[in-house]
Formats: sequence, structure tokens, C-alpha cells
Amino acid sequence: MRTKLHAARAALVMVGLALAVLAATLFAGPAVAAEEKVLHVYNWSEYVPQSVLDRFTKETGIKVVYTTYESNEAMYAKIKLLKGVGYDVVVPSTYFISMMRDDGLLAKIDKSKLKNFKNLSPKVLNQPFDPGNEYSVPYMWGSSGLMVNKKVVDPASITSWNDLNRPEFSGKVILSDDQRDSLGVALKALGYSVNSTNEAEIKAAYEWLKKLLPAVRVFDVTASKQAFISEEVAAGLIWNGDAYIAAGENENLVYVYPREGVPLWVDSLAIPVGAKHKDNAHKFIDFLLRPDVAKECVEEYNYSTPNVAAQKILSPELAKSRITSPSDADLKNAEFTNSVGNALEIYEKYWEMLKTGS
Amino acid sequence: MTQRRPFRTASIAVVWLWLGLFALLPNLGLLLVTFLERGESDFVSLVFTWDNYARLADPVFVRILGESLWLAAASTLVCLLIGYPFAYAVATARRGLRPWLLLLVVIPFWTNSLIRTYALIIILKSQGLASNVLMALGLVSEPVSFMYGEFAVFTGLTYTLLPFMILPLYASIEKLDKRLLDAAKDLGASSLRAFWHVTLPLTLPGIVAGCMLVFLPSLGCFYIPEILGGAKSMLIGNFIKNQFLVARDWPLGAAASTILTVLLVLMIIGYWLSSRRVALRERKGADTGAATAGRTPDATHEDGDGMTHGAHDARGRA
Amino acid sequence: MTLRLRTLRTCLVWLVYAFLYVPILVVIVYSFNDARYTTEWKGFTLKWYSALAANGPLVDAALNSLSVATLAATIATVLGTLAAICIRRYRFPGRKVLHGCIYVLTVSPDIVMGISLLIFFIAMGVQLGFWTLLAAHVTLALPFVTVTVLARLAEFDEQLIEAARDLGASEWRAFRHVLLPLAAPAVAAGWLLSFTLSMDDVLVSFFVTGPTFEVLPLRVYSMVRLGVKPDINALSAVMFTVTIVLVLLAQTLTRTRRK
Repeated sequence: MRTKLHAARAALVMVGLALAVLAATLFAGPAVAAEEKVLHVYNWSEYVPQSVLDRFTKETGIKVVYTTYESNEAMYAKIKLLKGVGYDVVVPSTYFISMMRDDGLLAKIDKSKLKNFKNLSPKVLNQPFDPGNEYSVPYMWGSSGLMVNKKVVDPASITSWNDLNRPEFSGKVILSDDQRDSLGVALKALGYSVNSTNEAEIKAAYEWLKKLLPAVRVFDVTASKQAFISEEVAAGLIWNGDAYIAAGENENLVYVYPREGVPLWVDSLAIPVGAKHKDNAHKFIDFLLRPDVAKECVEEYNYSTPNVAAQKILSPELAKSRITSPSDADLKNAEFTNSVGNALEIYEKYWEMLKTGS
Repeated sequence: MTQRRPFRTASIAVVWLWLGLFALLPNLGLLLVTFLERGESDFVSLVFTWDNYARLADPVFVRILGESLWLAAASTLVCLLIGYPFAYAVATARRGLRPWLLLLVVIPFWTNSLIRTYALIIILKSQGLASNVLMALGLVSEPVSFMYGEFAVFTGLTYTLLPFMILPLYASIEKLDKRLLDAAKDLGASSLRAFWHVTLPLTLPGIVAGCMLVFLPSLGCFYIPEILGGAKSMLIGNFIKNQFLVARDWPLGAAASTILTVLLVLMIIGYWLSSRRVALRERKGADTGAATAGRTPDATHEDGDGMTHGAHDARGRA
Repeated sequence: MTLRLRTLRTCLVWLVYAFLYVPILVVIVYSFNDARYTTEWKGFTLKWYSALAANGPLVDAALNSLSVATLAATIATVLGTLAAICIRRYRFPGRKVLHGCIYVLTVSPDIVMGISLLIFFIAMGVQLGFWTLLAAHVTLALPFVTVTVLARLAEFDEQLIEAARDLGASEWRAFRHVLLPLAAPAVAAGWLLSFTLSMDDVLVSFFVTGPTFEVLPLRVYSMVRLGVKPDINALSAVMFTVTIVLVLLAQTLTRTRRK
């Protein structure tokens, strides 16, 4: 009985302490700001530097409440279930803009409120997923290219996605765990579009990947930075922002734009249809389009900026890096990933077959 | 039964209300969705179909299920083999020490699991901590990597799930009556025999509980095989998540989840039937009186219907 | 117990603790690592701690997580223990359904639970945030408590409680003075498991929380795309140290009170 009392007492003390912490949090927690001066941003963790958010609050008096999601898919499902109510700014990638627009989840952007919209590059504007940019404003964009380790192979000899099949890379290839990414690379290798809806082409891409499969060590593009730096892998897919960091950490790493072209993505700012603070949202988007602010954001994450004015004042390292500031030749045959509609089922089917080895 | 028992009524009401609201209702909804068609605008459309189950009768799905079951079973076994002796050691430690030893088991798990998994990468990766230690000991001559393979996956799963094995085991072993063991030994049983015939049967409910709490969650766990294993094969948790988020085929995802549940219920029934048979046989043999000695049929209790106390009920009635 | 067995036992205990704590020590050591991106050691720094101090939203998320986990674990422990006792002792309509629910909950993939609870909350017209998150976490943790307590009660002597009842104790007093002390270690274990689950849940939390209430695991998982920042290591180190200090404090307090 004594242990039990002892344990109970210990538990009591622990719970007491915990409750004290709890009470402290609940009462010391951030006070709810006045209704009008709030903005609910829904984004990836720290995809806008805290200093930028603080500056926005200081200049406008609008408090930013920033909550996060871990994938476009999860964000899409939640916003759709909530019918676009609750959040004021979201940052969907590439074709998620068209999916959300088609579902009636996005509000039109009032460009008369965005005096910095003119800073944006025509190269990134007016894409098939949002013609005329009625619903989205590009925030950051980039490519998913090929990285190789020059200890394993001479990077000058790597010109094509098909070079992933070279015997030197056996057991050292990294691909994405996203079906559109990995099948997209295979489609590109075969000379097709990353947005193919043709079953025969997707099947050919599946067979291309199946042949490559024994050489693949990892399917996880979010791990590629770490895996390349520690030389767990020697070739494969990587986002250009990560590639820039990895190449800076390990001098053997080289980022290549294969001649068949790279898949491109854009993360765009958008306003859900049920947003309660649309004026604040426009102010926030316009703030992010300011050259100095856009420069600060892109220097934090090392992706490419769609902002021409920001590109001009970018730090020389980023401005002259082919990884973050690709030339037109680098982007020859490059393609933005678009929605494939019902063909997604075909991708899903072949992806499952690939992953189960059938 | 006729007397008023406010505590009894209140407890049943509260438990019923909570589980009915947050478990039964959503799961009935889920079951409903499995018979509907996938919809474009609202995820599901109200058309009845058997098609979702038919689509799962596919070798691809069977392979995914098989791989997941194997991984879950193997990691449960590893956890049991490590967890049982550990829980036993903690449960037989000095009384005042026990709660603290137990607390020390869970404290590491209050650090975010992703951060812990990244720490495992630092240990397991090529030229990582493990590799360096092995090199320093002269056990290997070249840097080795333990990443992206079955070893890493099992290490990760065991690491994440171990407390879910240890805690129920501890709670069950802790009340073990030492006198029974002493009695068995006095009667000339060897330590091994005493363990096999007294300790093990008496702590069986804890073993079953621990295995359930490890096996069931590990079926749905996919981020560890993904991050540490390199995501080379698809697991059921991943499949279901894909259906809900990527493919946006909710009825199919719901059907896969339902099949998982049904499989589990069959396993529970199977366990219960077999434990009853074992218990009956044991009772007839009657050489292990310790496990059942001094027990009278349980008057207030109806037939065992569940996992953890099924064995006891069966013995009680036999 | 023979000496050899005793040594073996001590070795095992130390090995398991080492297995559990080495990764945490790695996290703590790397919180002082002067590198933004790599997993290589680049020298000593305290900058991640100042980065953490400046990262208000991250600290808020951690405090939110702590408050939800404490409350959810406590409520789940009470409900889970009651559920175990109801299932174990009482006969009432739908008992088997209830027992089944417990197991279905443990096997439900997080995504299924998250989405179905979100749909339920939307249908009820509840504002998403602290309360919905709390209810979801209680539901998530409850079966773990029930299964643990049921295992503890499995072989207990029903006569004890019947004796208490015969002596005129009410059901509540029998529970309070016989059942609860008997189940105490399992109840404590259940609380610890619940707290752990709640502190670590991502997918269920993602769906049931609202635009104003963020918890730590969500914030950490959403970093995956951009790379996890080392101030998370600093935060983990701080939380770990605080926990250990609290535990030592609690132990000293109970020890002096016993004297």
C-alpha cells in the first residue's frame, strides 16, 4: 500500500506542477487582437521569415496569426471541408491553384489593391493553372533538377535524366515519394510531358522507373539535401533551393539541368473564398511583393524569385548561381506541373504497382 | 441490480456518451462512405456501390497488407523481447524507485518524434555516430551506413513503440504475487519452469495488452519506414493516407481502413477462442494450480468477451 | 535471485535506458552545433537558443501543446479508467459495442480519425480550435488507458470488491478504496501514455485544429519541406531539461513529505 500512496503522491505533485504550467500558459497566452487588425495566414512552417511578419505588423498594425500545414494535399482537403472559411491567405503550389479555383474555394484577387504586382516577371505569370492570374500571385518558384556527386561521375558527362541508369549510380539514386514528381521525371526522360494524361505514356514511365528501381536507395525528396551532403546517395532528384544549400556544404555536389527539361513549380499566394479579412490579405500580399521584402524572403530559402525588381538587388551569390537564377537555356523544355484531372487515377495505379513490385 | 447505484449509472453514461459521440458515430459514418462512390465536388457522391471492396480484392492491395502485417508483427515481437525483461526488472526494483524508473522510460518520448527520428539518422547514417563508434572499437575498417534498410526501420519502430509495450507490461507484472513463485520453487520447480508455468500465464493479460498497443498503431505508422527505410515499399498506412489526400478517393481509403478493422476483430476473436481452449486444457491438467488456485466463478461477470480478460473469464468458469 | 541474474538484469536496464536516451543526447548536443543545415558537427554556438527566444510562435506552439496534452491526458485517464471498470464489472446494454469501439479506435489510421472528426465537428457547427483539439486528443488516447487498466484488472480478485459492497460500501466507495488503489499503477501508466500520444500527434491535430491554435508537432512537421531549423533542437533540449528538473523536484518533494 505504501508504494501506491507514494506513487499517487508523486503523481499528484507532477500533475500539480503541470497544471501550474498550464494555468501560466492559458493566462499569459497571446491576447485576442481586435477583430479587424488580424490576418490568418496558412502556410508551410516559417515559409515567410518571422522578421518579415514582424515588419508587416509594425507597419500596418495588422497582427499575423500564422498556422501551418505539411503538404498541399492536406491543406486542400482541409480548406475544401471548411468550404474556404477560416483562413485569409494560403500558399498552394502550382496546380493546386486550379483545383481550388475549380472547386470555388478561391476569391478573385483585386489587382488594383496590389501596386507592386508590376514587379512580377512575365515568365512566371499567366500560366495554364491560372490564366491572367485572377486567383493567384506567385510568391516563390523553382525547379526539381538532377544532382550528382562528382566523386562518382564526371558531371560534364551528365546531360539527360536517362543518365540515372548509369551503373556508377547503382544503389545510390534518390527519387521523390510523390508520384507526380517521380513519374514526371520518367516522363521527361522519355521525352513526354510531365502533365501527360496518356495511359500508354504513363505506363512507359512506370516501366522506366521499374528498370531503375534496383538502383534506387531512397524515395524521399525532402531528405535529398541531407542524403547528398552525407553522400548516402550520389544522383537523383532535388529541389533547387536544397541543391543550393547542399552544393554549398559539400563541394562535390553539382546541380544539372537535363536536356529533356526539368519540372517547375510555383508557390502562389491566394485568398480563400470565405476569408474574413480580405483587405488585410491584399495588404499582406502587396507587402510580400515589395522588392526589399521579396529579396529578404528569397535569400532565406534560396529558391527563385518571380520578382524582377527583387532579382536586381539580390545578393551576388544568389544572382549569379545557375541553381537559383537559371538562364533561359537552362529552362529549355522545362515545364510547370499542372493538374491532370482524372488521369491522376492512372498515376496512382502505376505508382502502387511500382511500390509493391508488381 | 435493483438498488440505486449513482456511480455505476454515471460512469456508464459518461463513457457511452463519449465513445458513442467520438468513436461510434464517426466510424459508422466511415462505414457508410465505403459503400458510396467517389465524387468530384464533395469527395463522395451518394450512390450505392460494392465497387470499393471489389477494387481492394487485388494482388497489389494484398501485398501491401501482407508487408504491413509482417512489419508490425516483427516489430511487436522485438518490442516484447526487449520490453518484457525490462518491465520485469522495473517491476521488481525497490518499491520507492519504481514510479521514477517508469517515468524515465517515457520522458524521451516527450521530445517530438520527427526530431528523434532525425537524431536516429545522425546516429545511423554513413560516417554517423554508430559507424564512428564501431570504427573506434576496430570492429569495422571502413565507414558503414545503417540507413535506408530493414535494420534502420526496425530500430526506428522499436524505438518509437517501446513504451507502449513496457507500460502495460509493468502495470501487469507489478501486481504479481511473489509468494506464488516462491511456492512453485518450494515445490521443486526450476526457475525456468516457474517462469513458464506461473509468471507467464499470470502476466499474459499484460503481454496481450502491450502487444495490442504496439501492433495496432504500428500498422498505421508509415513515417518511420519512409524516413529511415527510404520508402521503397508501400505500407497500408501510406496507402490509406494516399487515398484520402493524394488520390482523393475517400471511399476506397475508407474501405481499406474498414478491412483493417475487420481483420483486427477476427484476430481478437481468434485469440479469445484459442485462449479459452488453452485455459480449459490447463484446468484439466490441473498441474499449474497457481494460476487458478483459490478462484471462484465470477458471479457478477458474464462470459468473457474481450481480449485482455478473456483468458481469465474462461478459467474462472471452467 | 542469483548474482549472475542480478547483474544481467542491471545490464539490461542500463542498455534499454541508453537506447532510449542516446538520441535525446544527440539532439541536445546538436542544439549547440554551429551549422544551419547539415548533420555534421561544425563547432559550438549558443545562437539557436537566442533564435528560439526570438521565435515567439514556436514557443507559443510548444506551450499550446503542453496545455492540450496535460488536459487531454487527465481527461482521457479518467474516462479510460471508467471505461475499463464499466467493461470489466458492469453489465449494461451495448457493452460489447463499447469494448469493440476501444479496439477500433486504436487501429484507426490517424488520417481516418482526423478527417472523420473534422466532418463531425463541422456538422455540429463547432468552432475549430482548442476545444475540438482537446476532444480529439482525449479520444485518441482513451483506448490506450482502457487497454492498460483492463490488463491490470484482468486477474484481480472480484471477491475483494464484493466484500466491500457486502460491508455496505457504496459503488463509489468501493471504487475509491478498493478498485482505484488496485489499478493505480495502470492508471499512472495510462496517463503517461496519453500525454506522450498527445504531445506527438500530427495528422489528427492537423484536421481538428483551427486558424488560431497551433500545436508544436504540426509546426515541426510543416518544416519538413524547407528543412527543420536547429532552434527546434534548442527547444527540445530546453523542454527535456525542464522535464528532468521537474521530475527531480517532484521526487525530492515526495521524499521529504514521506519523512
